[in-house]
Amino acid sequence: MNASAPSIPHGHDDRDAHGHDDHGGGQGHIVLQYQPGLPLSKGKLIMWLFLSTEIMFFAALLGSYVVLRFGAAVWPKPHHVHLSEPIGAFNTFVLICSSVTIVLAFEAAKANKVAMAKNWMLATLLLGSLFLGIKGYEYSAKFSHGIYPSQPHSRIYEKPDLYYGSAVRARLDELRKVPVGLVPAGWREAADRSAEAGGTVDLLKRLDEAPAEKLSAEQQTARGRLQKVQKMLTNPGQQPFDLAVVADQVMPLPSEGTGSHGGHASGLNDAFPWLRLPAVIPGGNMWASTYFLLTGFHAIHVAVGLLVFAILLTYRLDRKRAGMIENAGLYWHFVDLVWIFLFPLLYLF
Amino acid sequence: MSEPTSPADSHGPITRVGAPSSTAAHDPDSGHDDHGDDHGSHGGIGQYLAVFAALCGLTTMSFLTYSSVWPWRDQPHVGWAFMMAVSCTKAMLVVLFFMHVLWEANWKFVLTIPAAMMAIFLALMLVPDVGLRNRMVAQERLLHMARPSDLILMERAAEAQLLADPAAH
Repeated sequence: MNASAPSIPHGHDDRDAHGHDDHGGGQGHIVLQYQPGLPLSKGKLIMWLFLSTEIMFFAALLGSYVVLRFGAAVWPKPHHVHLSEPIGAFNTFVLICSSVTIVLAFEAAKANKVAMAKNWMLATLLLGSLFLGIKGYEYSAKFSHGIYPSQPHSRIYEKPDLYYGSAVRARLDELRKVPVGLVPAGWREAADRSAEAGGTVDLLKRLDEAPAEKLSAEQQTARGRLQKVQKMLTNPGQQPFDLAVVADQVMPLPSEGTGSHGGHASGLNDAFPWLRLPAVIPGGNMWASTYFLLTGFHAIHVAVGLLVFAILLTYRLDRKRAGMIENAGLYWHFVDLVWIFLFPLLYLF
Repeated sequence: MSEPTSPADSHGPITRVGAPSSTAAHDPDSGHDDHGDDHGSHGGIGQYLAVFAALCGLTTMSFLTYSSVWPWRDQPHVGWAFMMAVSCTKAMLVVLFFMHVLWEANWKFVLTIPAAMMAIFLALMLVPDVGLRNRMVAQERLLHMARPSDLILMERAAEAQLLADPAAH
C-alpha cells in the first residue's frame, strides 16, 4: 500500500479513471474528499473477513453434524454417552461471562483506564482457561468410558452382535495374560516383584481368588456378574439376546430420567475400571466422531483466543490498543457464538 | 489486528486531498474516540450487563428443556425448535451488542449476509448425500449398522436383569 501522501497528479490519474475530471489543468478548485469503501480500519476489516470464513467453517461442521444426526438410524441420548448437561450449561455460563469481561476490557481501554483494562483482560483469560479445563475434564470422562473418536482406543460397538461377543471374549483372554508391569495398582502381589520381566498374571483368576474384604459391596456383586458373563460368552447354546445381556452388564445404557449422574454406576467397567471391556452404544461411533470434531475445533479456537489475550496482556492496554482489543474481542465473541449453538445441539438434543 | 499507525496507512493509495481536520471524522483511528462517545450514548456498560443478564436467562431457558419442568418431554421436536429459537436469540444479542454490529455502518451487511447464506446453502447441500444416506442402504451395511431394534434389545436386556437381579441395579 502506498502510505505516503500522494501528489496532486497522482490523484488526478485516479480521477480520470473515474471520469470525474476531464480537464487536466484545474486542480486547485476541486477539493477531493476520499470516502473509503468501508468505513472501518484495516485490522477490523480483516478480522471481519476472517470471521466470515469462520462462519462458513463452523457452518460446515455444524451442518454436517445436524445432517448426520438426523439422517442416522439411531443416535445416542446424551446420557448414553455420559454427557452431563449441568456441566455443559455451566461452561456456557463461563463463556458468556468471558464475553462480558472482554467487552468491559475494551470499554476500559477506550476510556484509557489501563489498569482496569488489564484486569478485565486477565479475567477473560482465566475464564477461558476455566472453560478449557472443564472441557478437558469432560474429555477425560469420555475416555474413561472408552469413548474415543477412533480405533484403537475406542471401545464402542454399535450393536450387541457376534462381533461384539468375540471382542469381549478377546479382551477377557487378554486379562488372563496381563504382563506384570501392567497389573493395576492394588492388584499387585509380592510374588509379582520376584517374577521375571516376561511374566504374566491372570487378573481374572486373581479377582476370583481375592478375599471378600478386599472388595466393596458393589465390587462383590460385580465379581459374581463377571463370572456369569464369562459363562454366557462360552455357552455353546448362546442366544442372540445373551449378548445384549452381556452388553448391559458391561455398561448399561441409562434410561430416560435417571438424573444428571446418569445412574450407570452398576456396569462392570465402573466397578473395575481396569477391565476395559468393549461396550455397546448404538450410534455411538458416529456420535464420538462428531462430538470430538466439533468440540475439538471449538477448543482449538478457544486456545488461540487465550494465546491472543496472553500476548495482549504484555502490552499497555491504553486507548491506542483499543482497536486491537476490539478485534480480539470480535474473535472471542465469535467463539462464544459457536458454543451457543454447540451446547444445545450436543447436550440437549 | 494491527492498528493503523497513521491516517494515511489506514486508507488505500488514494488519500484525502482536503485539509486533514475536515475529514477527521472518517478516520477510523481517531474515530474510536468519537465512536466511544457514541457507544456511551447507546447504553454503555449498563447495556452490556443487561445483555449479559438476558443471555444467562436464555441459557437457563434452554436448560429447562432438560429438566422435569418441561411439559413436552415426549415430543422432542418442540424442545428442539424452542432451543434453536433461544440460541438464535442469544446469537443475535451477542452479535448486535457485544460485537457492536448494531452501531456499525452498512458494510456489516456486505460481510455477514453472503457468509450466512453460504453457510445455509452449505448445510442444505449436505442433505441429499449425507442426510438421506440411510433411506436406502446395502444389505451388508444394514447388518452392521446400529438400528432402533438394537436400542430396544438393550432396553429389554436391562429390564430382564432388573427382574432377575434387582439388587444389582
